[in-house]
Amino acid sequence: MNWPLIAIRNILRDGTRVISTLLIIATGLTALLLGSGFMLSTYDSLQEMGMRTEGHLIIIDDNPAPLRGGSHQQLTLDNWQAIQTSLWNDERVLRVLPRAHFEGLIVNSNNSAVFFASGVDPQEEFRVHGPFLRTTDVLDPWIDPSKNQDVVLGVQLARTLNAVTGDLLTLKIMGSDGEVNQIAVRLAGTYQNGTPEIDDHTLMVSLTTAARLLGTNNISQLSIYLNQSQNAPALQAELQKSLNNVSVQSWQQRSELYHKVKSLYDRIFGVMGLIILVVVFLAITNTVSLATYQRREEIATLSALGTRPVRIYTNFILEAFLIGITATILGMLFAYTASHAINLSELMMPPPPGKTEGYPIFIYISWPHYLLISLVLITVVIGASLLATYNTTKINIATALA
Amino acid sequence: MPARLSLNAISKHYGPESQQVTALNEVSLSLEEGEFLAIQGPSGSGKSTLLNICGLIDHPSSGDYHLNGIAVAQLNEQQRCTHRRQMIGFIFQRHQLIPAMTVYENIAYPLLLNNISAKNTRYEVEQILTTLDLMQRRKHLPRQLSGGERQRVGIARALIKRPQLVIADEPSASLDHQHTHTGLQLMRELNQAFGASFLIASHDPFVIDHCDRRISLLDGRMDDRA
Ligand SMILES: Nc1ncnc2c1ncn2[C@@H]1O[C@H](COP(=O)(O)OP(=O)(O)O)[C@@H](O)[C@H]1O
Ligand SMILES: [Mg+2]
Repeated sequence: MNWPLIAIRNILRDGTRVISTLLIIATGLTALLLGSGFMLSTYDSLQEMGMRTEGHLIIIDDNPAPLRGGSHQQLTLDNWQAIQTSLWNDERVLRVLPRAHFEGLIVNSNNSAVFFASGVDPQEEFRVHGPFLRTTDVLDPWIDPSKNQDVVLGVQLARTLNAVTGDLLTLKIMGSDGEVNQIAVRLAGTYQNGTPEIDDHTLMVSLTTAARLLGTNNISQLSIYLNQSQNAPALQAELQKSLNNVSVQSWQQRSELYHKVKSLYDRIFGVMGLIILVVVFLAITNTVSLATYQRREEIATLSALGTRPVRIYTNFILEAFLIGITATILGMLFAYTASHAINLSELMMPPPPGKTEGYPIFIYISWPHYLLISLVLITVVIGASLLATYNTTKINIATALA
Repeated sequence: MPARLSLNAISKHYGPESQQVTALNEVSLSLEEGEFLAIQGPSGSGKSTLLNICGLIDHPSSGDYHLNGIAVAQLNEQQRCTHRRQMIGFIFQRHQLIPAMTVYENIAYPLLLNNISAKNTRYEVEQILTTLDLMQRRKHLPRQLSGGERQRVGIARALIKRPQLVIADEPSASLDHQHTHTGLQLMRELNQAFGASFLIASHDPFVIDHCDRRISLLDGRMDDRA
């Protein structure tokens, strides 16, 4: 007996029910695929941002002095040039960027503001951030620190100070012994990240300028950028072994934003996915129960002829499976088409937590991920059918045939 | 040799105690191997109920039923299913063909259930299709058939596995005289070749005359005037 063919005949016999069932499953799958495709692309861009901001690996002093006030406490990594030089010889390493973090007050004739600064390598720093740190009109002399003591400000900080490119500004910090050090700098441009903490309060100067102001060549961290992200864990382990008195961390260990946003989105998408699965489950239970009720005479006949309940059960599940497969293919096609349409339309998302700017919606299409989610959905469909048909094989034959 | 079936004081009640309907009231009868028994009676007299109990698709409320000497009350659901599959052929009042199976598949189905080889199945089914004038219809689905054709398919499905007991509930209701005759002839052949017994509920004098013996039911009781 060709059971699949008989299942197909049964499916075709009940057109409206089948179409509504197909649409329920396909729509559910489309929503799941679009939602998770969006989630994956969001995680990817968050990772990208985390890596570009922090570097794949970060070397810090393994025993930073306890916080005491003043800014020198952040500058604990000495002898970093030696580490930097040795890392340059590793072919996995693309860039090694020193960063010296300090804080103080920035002053011009109109205004003053608290700043959080990084002393950086002026040639290399802006090359690693990509779209996550957009610079505006940064003057060329910025990259030649011997001539000028330049500063680049977060775009909002520049606005707060009412400062324009070329203006002279004063950076003041509290030295470790309590006296105030200051240095005059020229505004060479601004940058923008979209995060208020960065755009409103941060600035960058060259490492040379920072050293002059701080009175030390120590830095806070070395950020290591790799050619390929997948080399990070191995290199992290090697460096941790070979270097003394430092701690080698990955960007994940340092990036709080990534973890916060990811856990928020995990929950949102998790709940959304669960709701869709529950809705599909209930809808299928409902339609399959109705269908089996309408077919109780046929079930009773099969049973009267001596068909084992398992066989009857299997036939119903086979029908559910075939409907599930068809709906899944439909749903994948819907999702695939919709993803392309959305990606091409450049729709914008509202700003995520902690950001002032939205970002373009991008939806990933990956077949393993399509298959996995479809499998989950088909399992739900079959589970619902199992539940809905479970009792039908126990009907009273005589009553059903009466 | 035990009787094919023997019923002793079988009763069947429906509904709650307060408003109980008694469909069968202490019916006793026996059917021998190779016997044709007609059951007569007006509508609602309990014929279908009696056939369902004999066919192991319903349970009596009280009384003893032995099928081929086996006490039916002792059988569990799975054993009842196996007995139906192996021993009993049903001809239902409303045909009850499987809608998604073709004529061929409907008739072949009982052989499939009993693990008969595809080759033998083909031979048997084609033979009975020819006898019952259904060869042209073998690839049709039940909804494409007339009432008479469906009933003939139902008869073929019941007889194809050569059951020891055939239970027929008003088998000739939608058949013309010619096909009723062919059907009865087939039953008689089965009866003579394999000793099959028949329990037939019918109003059709032609069918009743064909039987060896008849009983009458009235309000669930055996009517001795018949
Ligand atoms: N499932 C049922 N529930 C309640 N009463 C029933 C049921 N099946 C049959 N009856 C009643 O039992 C009696 C006998 O019915 P049935 O055996 O179908 O008679 P017949 O086949 O002779 O027309 C009728 O009064 C009928 O209403
Ligand atoms: Mg009846």
